[in-house]
Amino acid sequence: MTATPGLWPLVGEGEAETAVWCYDNRVPGPEIRVRQGEPVRIVVENKLDEATTVHWHGIRLPNAMDGVPGLTQPPIKPGEKFVYAFTPPDAGTFWYHPHADSLRQLGRGLAGALIVEEPETIPVDRDILWMIADWRLKPDAQIAGGFGNAMEAAMSGRVGNTVTLNGAVSNGVAVHAGERIRLRLVNSALARIMALRFEGHRPAVIAIDGQPCETHEPVGGRILLGPAMRVDILIDMRGEPGRRYRVVDDFYDGLAYWLTELAYDSNPPLRKHSSDAPLSLPRNPLPEPNLDTAEHHVLKLQGGMMGGNGMMGMGMMGVGMSHGAIWAINGMSMTGDGQADMPPLLTLQRGRSYRLTIRNDTAWWHPMHLHGHSFRVLRRNGKAVPHHQWADTVLVSPHEAVDIAFVADNPGDWMFHCHITDHQASGLMVVLRVT
Amino acid sequence: MKRRIFCLGAAAIVLAGPMPAVAGELIHATLYKNPQCTCCEGYAAYLRKNGFSVDVKPSNEVAEISREAGVPEKFQGCHTMFVDGYVVDGHVPADIVHKLLSERPPIAGITLPGMPLGAPGMTGTKASTFTIYAVTKDGTPPKVYATE
Ligand SMILES: [Cu+2]
Repeated sequence: MTATPGLWPLVGEGEAETAVWCYDNRVPGPEIRVRQGEPVRIVVENKLDEATTVHWHGIRLPNAMDGVPGLTQPPIKPGEKFVYAFTPPDAGTFWYHPHADSLRQLGRGLAGALIVEEPETIPVDRDILWMIADWRLKPDAQIAGGFGNAMEAAMSGRVGNTVTLNGAVSNGVAVHAGERIRLRLVNSALARIMALRFEGHRPAVIAIDGQPCETHEPVGGRILLGPAMRVDILIDMRGEPGRRYRVVDDFYDGLAYWLTELAYDSNPPLRKHSSDAPLSLPRNPLPEPNLDTAEHHVLKLQGGMMGGNGMMGMGMMGVGMSHGAIWAINGMSMTGDGQADMPPLLTLQRGRSYRLTIRNDTAWWHPMHLHGHSFRVLRRNGKAVPHHQWADTVLVSPHEAVDIAFVADNPGDWMFHCHITDHQASGLMVVLRVT
Repeated sequence: MKRRIFCLGAAAIVLAGPMPAVAGELIHATLYKNPQCTCCEGYAAYLRKNGFSVDVKPSNEVAEISREAGVPEKFQGCHTMFVDGYVVDGHVPADIVHKLLSERPPIAGITLPGMPLGAPGMTGTKASTFTIYAVTKDGTPPKVYATE
């Protein structure tokens, strides 16, 4: 796989191609499909003019394969190669992206899906991937500069103006009446949070961040998808042949738009009755944390605009600011690609269960990502989270407290950071060490 | 509902140019703000009490709109307003906006960088003098336009 500059028709015919950075000359990068429990070897060659790495988001792999420059590997310099080798223990929907100069490298298009197939999968008519990305384009369809704007870093990050589905603005996705689709949703945006509704349809969530959950309909039919999150849904195409149904994203107040349409062909339904049996996926071999003996820690998310008193939080609140940080976790901030010499925020004993309360003391949303582990999502503001949910990236709303738990079974230094990339690069990032 | 969001920023700039400024007695302004920032509403309410009618528009691209309008990154406020052919960035006091509109200098507009304590629409008490800068589109560095 080669990281390289390229040109890609993001906005469609009749418009200019967009100069991007991409894997193997395509956006998104190649859809890598591998099998659960079978060794994977991927050679990454860097043809960019700056250093890069690849992070295999959500895969529980050895620390040296995690792709964090300076922390788990030396950066891959221009012209160099790096061999990533690991055996994915979990089946599910994962993805890959750089962990170096993340704002520009992810924001210019370096991302792709990594799908780990179950040995025995569920019976569906089609298994489809939607990589949903967000771009800030100028009228000539080229990517606007201005990455790392300080005002945006202190607010909701660099949200763009063009949303693509599998690398292009989408007018419609062809479907047939009566079919059952497994749809793998991946939010690969820098900062855009999405809330997707499928008009006229009732999707059921079967997995979150690759990890199966109890099959359930999302609250209000609205699927919340923060940056880096994945949701697998089952969707029965019960619409009328020949009709079109919108897929709407209405996360930001007053800025709803439709991502695409489900475009039914005119053929009669494939089958008379779609199966009502709710399908669920086989569980992955995740160690269940012991909540009775789990050690508890509170991780406070701090800073940003209007932090506490209507102000730019960090400076005003007197929280320690290093490296020009705007955000912090318990007063600690790594910025940019991270500072490997900074001590870990927590040192966890290998094999022990931990319960972490992620307490959002800021006025902004944060999708918080832990490397090397998946965790149970236990409670939100003290209220139990249903459907036995696991995640590697949990979306925390303003002033919300989310309890997570996991067994620290993977040794190494692991990043814990916000996946709104502007927040990550300006301080909402620390290291947790598992010894 | 918008079909797609491509070029929203550019459309906004076009709209903001030659727009009838005076609606009755009130001066019309269009204010672009982050959909999740609340202090900007406070500023709009303040302006409405000071002779303006304000159209508040949520946008995820306030930084880009502001940059396109001539405000360098280090001088940006948290929202961007267009009024009578000028850009007014951040929590600029209303008397200074009125001064701008009556003097009509050959500049792109004015800005109060950041979110200073005690500025109109902000909480807190004023800790130091507000310095409002004049910005241009020709790349010359911002100059002090007014202090308060
Ligand atoms: Cu964040």
